[in-house]
Amino acid sequence: MFIINCPYCGERDQSEFSCGGEAHIERPKQPTELSDDQWAEYLFMRKNIKGIQFERWNHIHGCRKWFNVVRDTSNDKIHAVYKMGERPPIK
Amino acid sequence: MLNFNSPIKEEKKYNDLNIIEVEPIIKINLRSNKREFSTKIGKILSILPPNEANTSSGNEKFNLLWLSSDEWLIYSNDKEMSLDDQTNLEDKLFNEISKLNQGAVTNVSDHWVMINLNGNKVYDLLSKSCPYNFNDFKNKKGSVAQTIVNRIDVILHHKEDDNLNLFVRRSFSEDLWLWINDSARFI
Amino acid sequence: MINNLRINKNNFIDQTIRISFKFNGKKLFGYKGDTLASALLANNIHLVGRSFKYHRPRGIMTCGSEEPNAIVQVGKDSSLTEPNVRATEIELYEGLEAFSQNCWPSINFDIGGINNFLSPLLPAGFYYKTFMWPASFWEKYEFFIRHSAGLGKSPTKPDQDLYDHQYVHCDVLVIGGGISGILSAKLSVAKGLNTMLIDDKDYLGGSTIYQDDDIFKINNENSNVWLKKQIETLNKIPNLTIKHRTSVAAFHGYNYLLARENLIDHLNIDERKGKIRQRLWKIRAKKVVIATGAIERPLVFSNNDRPGVILSSSIKKYIDYYGVKTGENISLFTNNDSAYETAISLNKSGVKVKVIIDIREDSNSILSEQVEKSGIKILKGYTVIDTDGYKRIKSFDVMKLSKDGGSVVGNKITYKSDCLGISGGWTPMVHLFTQSGGKLKFRNNDNVFIPDENKTPSKQISVGSSNGDFELDDVINNTVKNIKIFLGLDKNDFENLNIKCSKEKQKRNIWLLPSNKPISKTKPFLDFQNDSTAKDVKLALREGFKSIEHVKRYTTTGMGTDQGKLSNMHALGIIADTTGTNMGDLGTTTFRPPYTPLTFGAIVGRNVGKFFDHTRRTAIHDWHVKNKAEFENVGQWKRPWYFPKNGETMHQSVQRESKAARESAGILDASTLGKIDIQGEDASEFLNRVYTNAWSKLAIGKCRYGLMLNEDGMVYDDGVTTRLAENHYIMSTTTGGAANVLSKLEDYLQTEWPELNVYLTTVTDQYSTMSICGPNSKKIIKKVIPNLDLSDQSFPHMSFKNSKINNVKCRIMRISFTGEHSYEINVQSNYAKDVWERCIEAGKEFNITPYGTETMHLLRAEKGFIITGQDTDGTLTPSDLQMDWIIGKKKYDFIGKRSLYRSDTIREDRKQLVGLLTDDPKEVLEEGAQLVESLDKPIEMLGHVTSSYFSPNLNKSIALAVVRSGKKLKGKKLIVPMENKNINVTITDTVFYDKENKRLNA
Ligand SMILES: [Zn+2]
Repeated sequence: MFIINCPYCGERDQSEFSCGGEAHIERPKQPTELSDDQWAEYLFMRKNIKGIQFERWNHIHGCRKWFNVVRDTSNDKIHAVYKMGERPPIK
Repeated sequence: MLNFNSPIKEEKKYNDLNIIEVEPIIKINLRSNKREFSTKIGKILSILPPNEANTSSGNEKFNLLWLSSDEWLIYSNDKEMSLDDQTNLEDKLFNEISKLNQGAVTNVSDHWVMINLNGNKVYDLLSKSCPYNFNDFKNKKGSVAQTIVNRIDVILHHKEDDNLNLFVRRSFSEDLWLWINDSARFI
Repeated sequence: MINNLRINKNNFIDQTIRISFKFNGKKLFGYKGDTLASALLANNIHLVGRSFKYHRPRGIMTCGSEEPNAIVQVGKDSSLTEPNVRATEIELYEGLEAFSQNCWPSINFDIGGINNFLSPLLPAGFYYKTFMWPASFWEKYEFFIRHSAGLGKSPTKPDQDLYDHQYVHCDVLVIGGGISGILSAKLSVAKGLNTMLIDDKDYLGGSTIYQDDDIFKINNENSNVWLKKQIETLNKIPNLTIKHRTSVAAFHGYNYLLARENLIDHLNIDERKGKIRQRLWKIRAKKVVIATGAIERPLVFSNNDRPGVILSSSIKKYIDYYGVKTGENISLFTNNDSAYETAISLNKSGVKVKVIIDIREDSNSILSEQVEKSGIKILKGYTVIDTDGYKRIKSFDVMKLSKDGGSVVGNKITYKSDCLGISGGWTPMVHLFTQSGGKLKFRNNDNVFIPDENKTPSKQISVGSSNGDFELDDVINNTVKNIKIFLGLDKNDFENLNIKCSKEKQKRNIWLLPSNKPISKTKPFLDFQNDSTAKDVKLALREGFKSIEHVKRYTTTGMGTDQGKLSNMHALGIIADTTGTNMGDLGTTTFRPPYTPLTFGAIVGRNVGKFFDHTRRTAIHDWHVKNKAEFENVGQWKRPWYFPKNGETMHQSVQRESKAARESAGILDASTLGKIDIQGEDASEFLNRVYTNAWSKLAIGKCRYGLMLNEDGMVYDDGVTTRLAENHYIMSTTTGGAANVLSKLEDYLQTEWPELNVYLTTVTDQYSTMSICGPNSKKIIKKVIPNLDLSDQSFPHMSFKNSKINNVKCRIMRISFTGEHSYEINVQSNYAKDVWERCIEAGKEFNITPYGTETMHLLRAEKGFIITGQDTDGTLTPSDLQMDWIIGKKKYDFIGKRSLYRSDTIREDRKQLVGLLTDDPKEVLEEGAQLVESLDKPIEMLGHVTSSYFSPNLNKSIALAVVRSGKKLKGKKLIVPMENKNINVTITDTVFYDKENKRLNA
């Protein structure tokens, strides 16, 4: 159980959150222009990294806000949290 | 007049702990990210919605709880407020906010059941199934937390020392009530 | 035989309170403060169990949680009996009944003991090799294995004991109440930090508390006296919480730890009623101090497992703490100084120590010199090569070690002893440290893995012997120094303590001691619980296993309930020696939680019985109960399933309810459907994007059915949404989908479409919904809400009106999930029961019939309406459901649109929803049954039945199914093969009843 520092509510137990998978996969603005392969890239392809990973989390049992988390999947250390629409504070 | 049917009809007392459902009080959910919103609310309720996370504002009539950066909960302290007065308040807010596209006003009086817990074992009881760290919460009057108790979503509002109001969705309220009373035996 | 081995001197157990207990049916006595193990030893009982594989007699070997042998079944009661409890951890109570495990028919005569003589046939990997093949024999093997193996008996009835959980948030958690833990806790509270001190025993002080000898002094007091005074002041500190009988099971990331507290197991049975048995503490600590100590290692030599072979430090504890002699004629076998402490304790208590065998050539510490002075015989540079005795050690053989320790030389000497204390040095308890992500380093001079300070997760520290400090002065000085840095303390507490202790000067370690026999003729046990020997490890290496993790699994070393606390180091050492690897490079196996086994009860806490899962109730629930509804679980909701009358079966109820709903009037509690209040300037645009159909043109006051897809084009949820005002909608979702739909919509609003001004608020619990359907529904609504204009012109199908019942606002929707003329009343939940009762009262003259989910399902199936989650399973597109009409083709985009013309979703041979009629109209299909075209093998599965009912209104069986290329197959005959018959069916349209929708306006 991590402690996640919700950018809105502060530090809370992981059980108040749900994870929404990889972050920064933007929904294409013009899906109809895309080939099957391009659409499939958006729809299905996800990284699964051992190491620094950018993730979306939702404070579902709290403020209901979605935000981004930079987590090292090898030791669960959270390096940063930042709001939707903000740039990742680390590379 | 229609019969009012509250899901919990008891008051329970344990050593150092009392649990009561507080009767029908109006609760209104507010959403907005507009600038005018705060002033409008201030005019209607004579209190401003708090901007600081996990806090509340209030006067003798109303409490205004921070739920999110664009969401608040109003609840009244007045158990005797008539249904017509409740409707009037809701309509006034709705007309000033929702209708003018300044945000969203939603009546949630019956969505949430409010249970008052008081006594010096309150936090021991909640901590049986709530991962929230109450160390700061319990020392700060008016603090607010949305969290889970026995995996059920709740809003907690710290009224005064060892006295808090817990809001739980109506459909879960009986389940949580039974759980609270079960756990109260073991503190 | 002497049956009382108790000496009078001791400070820790209360000899005035005698306690009776039973072991294997025999009545025995002990004292308050005893463990089952100490009481058994006092009664001269060593033989307590049989080993797992060879069924060799085994005795109590330790005095703590590392005990591999003395695991017993406690209690006879079929709901309270507990297997696999360590006798060394059971505090004695009046009426305790314990039994040996792993022996049949009795501990003294055990049939499985034959395995001992077959042991050459049961080498490492025996189970894998023998039972692997052929797979079809597995059932027979399993029977054999389960019959002859198996540890203890499970209770056969539900556990009556109570368990609960408790979260706690503290500044500092100190794990372990030995001297280093106590010093840490005292420093922590001195800094003003909220501190929790946890120990698994009922007393604090660890092993120092009974270290009563002039050799060990702190500030000129014997170490135990000094420590006792420190402990006495602990109880008076307000910001310190001490938890006795509490064992940390797991140390997770972010300093989240689980600890089990035993609250009643030490009480007499009659004092336990109504009390919590075990509490699982869920601890979040800002900082953690690991002070878990070390456990003594055994030595590995042939037949080192006989009852009476005990760890040397345990012998010391039994005599010093419990006042129990583990034998009358004790010898010690060691590779380090600590056995000399045991010898001093035994000597003081008047127990004869026959001989000390020390594998070291020399040892001239204060301790060894004091022992030599007392006249005890010491053999230096010798080793034990074998033992004799079956149910108890009788004697052992000794030979001189060669210079390099690789073999033995000279003549064999035999000593008679009824107890042999062994000490192979100390292993720091680093389990919790590694669980938390810490990495170990190997210290070559005394062969220990200790926490690597450079690879320690932040906000934790290991101190004392769990950090590899074994001498009293090192323990104290390093603990004080490091804790002050760790907690940022500048106080000078505990500085300049004057500590006097013995220092070990010589070290020698041999993982597998040599013998005069070839290894194949010896039985040097490594893992006593799992019966694996040094031979097995060597065999595994010969067979090509290299990784320590593989060797562990192949030989089962370290896989018992003790998780190899005693065996792991020797297994590693033997692997390192055999393969010529440095132990530090070899690493250890992974220590996984729990540190000691947890009961299921402690894991689930109070979430049993009625708290197993949540129960959500509608506002009308009490009425349903009073009117004898049978309930169905839908998600966490309790929904009325059907309302049986006068002993009806479910089928009879549903047939009656379904007929009544179409012939006159029915009423359904639909409050469980999700309801989302949608407001904001962009509400219409938002709905355009989330539903497949168009919403901008929906007039205010109108309702529309919508289908929601995932981005992959598959149907996700459905429901009716009503436009209440220009920028105000209320959306309904399925019962099970409510929470997920809200979360998904919030996700899109917050992440993909932040430009939209839309607010979502859930009002599922705010409004209760009752649906009144049937040809008489209009008359009933008229009675309940007299001033509402119900004419078709003013209030047509798919529209809504605001109204009031008395002064309570309500929303009336004219929508239908049954195909009948029907209304939905939505009212604030606290008034819903009253409104429901008014409808029932008003409907009496029309025989209004409350119906449940089963009738609802049947009625909608007659109309071919889908239920998402029943007829769909996340693999069907709207087109697959024959619902192409609901796709807004002109819309530029909506969630899932692009996926509707992927190469896969436009295939014509996808599974598609169809209707089915059975050739025999009385035959009702089973939901989930497969559909095939012919019975010629290989049989191809074409699809399956998703919904199936007997329709009373059509007087025949109807079903919905998904079938490959189903849309093209109307009229086609298929077969539903069942276990005992084949059912012939024909594919039809999905709508069975009132295809022209005439009844909506009837
Ligand atoms: Zn939050």
